[in-house]
Amino acid sequence: MPLEWLNPYHLQVGSFVLINAILGASIYVTLSTGQLSLGNAGFMSIGAYAAALLSTHHQVPIPVGVLAGSLLAGAAGILVGIPALRLSGVYLAIATLGFGEVLRAVLINWESLTGGAVGIAAIPQMGRVILAWASDRGFSPGSLGLQRNQFISLTVFLILLLCTILTVAFFLRLSRSRVGRAYAAIRSDERAAEAAGIPITYYKVLAFSQGALLSGFAGALFAHSTSFVSPGDFTYHRAVEILVFAVFGGSEQILGPVFGAAFLTVLPEALRPISDYRYILYGILLVVMMVFRPQGVIDPALVRRLRRSGKGTPA
Amino acid sequence: MSALLSLRRIGKSFGGLSALSDISFDVHPGEIVGVIGPNGAGKTTLFNVVTAVFPPTAGEVLFDGERIGGLPPHAITKRGVTRTFQNIRLFSAMTVEENVMVGRHCRTGAGVWGGVLRTQRERREEQGIRGKARELLDLVGLPGADRDRIAGSLPYGHQRRLEIARALAAEPRLLLLDEPVAGMNDAETQDVFRLIRRVQSLGVTILLIEHDMSLVMKACDRLVVFNFGRKIAEGAPAEIRDDPLVIEAYLGAGGGGADA
Repeated sequence: MPLEWLNPYHLQVGSFVLINAILGASIYVTLSTGQLSLGNAGFMSIGAYAAALLSTHHQVPIPVGVLAGSLLAGAAGILVGIPALRLSGVYLAIATLGFGEVLRAVLINWESLTGGAVGIAAIPQMGRVILAWASDRGFSPGSLGLQRNQFISLTVFLILLLCTILTVAFFLRLSRSRVGRAYAAIRSDERAAEAAGIPITYYKVLAFSQGALLSGFAGALFAHSTSFVSPGDFTYHRAVEILVFAVFGGSEQILGPVFGAAFLTVLPEALRPISDYRYILYGILLVVMMVFRPQGVIDPALVRRLRRSGKGTPA
Repeated sequence: MSALLSLRRIGKSFGGLSALSDISFDVHPGEIVGVIGPNGAGKTTLFNVVTAVFPPTAGEVLFDGERIGGLPPHAITKRGVTRTFQNIRLFSAMTVEENVMVGRHCRTGAGVWGGVLRTQRERREEQGIRGKARELLDLVGLPGADRDRIAGSLPYGHQRRLEIARALAAEPRLLLLDEPVAGMNDAETQDVFRLIRRVQSLGVTILLIEHDMSLVMKACDRLVVFNFGRKIAEGAPAEIRDDPLVIEAYLGAGGGGADA
């Protein structure tokens, strides 16, 4: 079979890479105004649960549910962001981490709505919904040389790829605009940014809620990719994992956390053959990185060098 | 002529420590006014009160006849008061040009969607911001070759000029300069002196903190002298030079009226 490499396992790893890339982008956006939020796992759960509940209980179409989940997470970001502005640095990190844990406790205990610790199952899966829709119109995956589950996984992967590309493009453009300069100025020196005429409160809340919205977006996509969510998906470990994407990949460019997410999601899978040792290797890699390249893999100097060498090579 | 900036009985204390007390003076449109005094006299504290880094504990600040106390710093910038800092505060990881472009923030309006969708209006605005930034870099004498350099890598004197360009980008009516020639040699000091005069000729009123007496005496129309958080003298440079209180503040009691 020619498309055998396109197996659902590879595609699923690919899908997790993309969801994590969006999560990496979410922490980057908040960090781009110098705020370290560890609440992104919490915002992710808002998006995931909202989308899941809307589609399972109210038969809302998936795109509408994803949009609603993202916006709800963004709105929660505004509510959390305004009081959180009084905090900075490690205090903000701890407060937002606390927010995520409180939210998880709510998800576990509000059983009538959330299904408690068991979570929500049988959430419509994007790939299956599209296949069912296409099959009704006489389409068969076999006509593309694909099996049913290959087609489903491939569809999910492509939708997530599109979402990730749009997200990265959105924030790349934003970073080169008036708003992006305001973010960078605030991150560099709040006092000077204020004196230069930037309303820092507005932009910090904006960045915080954009990060929350992106986390919610990733959560909603996650719910419709795996068709199952539970509070266990949004623990403190998830929050730290998102942080590690940014620390490992570099947090000064959006490509840093996106790269970090991709690399650190693929690595444990690639190391499966040495299963017992893979997380030891993962840990060693992080320690080595912190010693030799604390700014992360992708830093502005690297980007400048790449851009220059790109220009230097004859077309 | 009505005052552009009017300080009325400004007081500022930190805990029990009084940094400023009962400071009143006016700055008129078009003037260059110097604020001088020994270290710790409260000069920078005064700038911080005017630009709302912190509120005064007493008195009020009027700009163009309106009270600006209680406004956040960015709103004061938008009204037309901008400043530089004693210990230069550039956005050191951004390029020289970007630093000045940030200064245009309050005179421009593109939001998130404008920036992402690159609407025609946004592109025109960006072009305008860039053009203005280059114009100001030329004005302060930073060569075009430096535009794309990282601000933190500029030599010290150029960083000071860049900070002035950024402050001018907001089109201030009143510019507060906090020791613009600190640490500069004579030639650089002369350049900054000429720059200050150029800026004045563009219609910007200037309030200047400076320790370099030759510069202050030459550049300023009027001087205000601080000591221990109080205003001890105000007047034309020639009067101030001969004021016994000022001489005492600088040379200590009994220092005599020699050639200060």
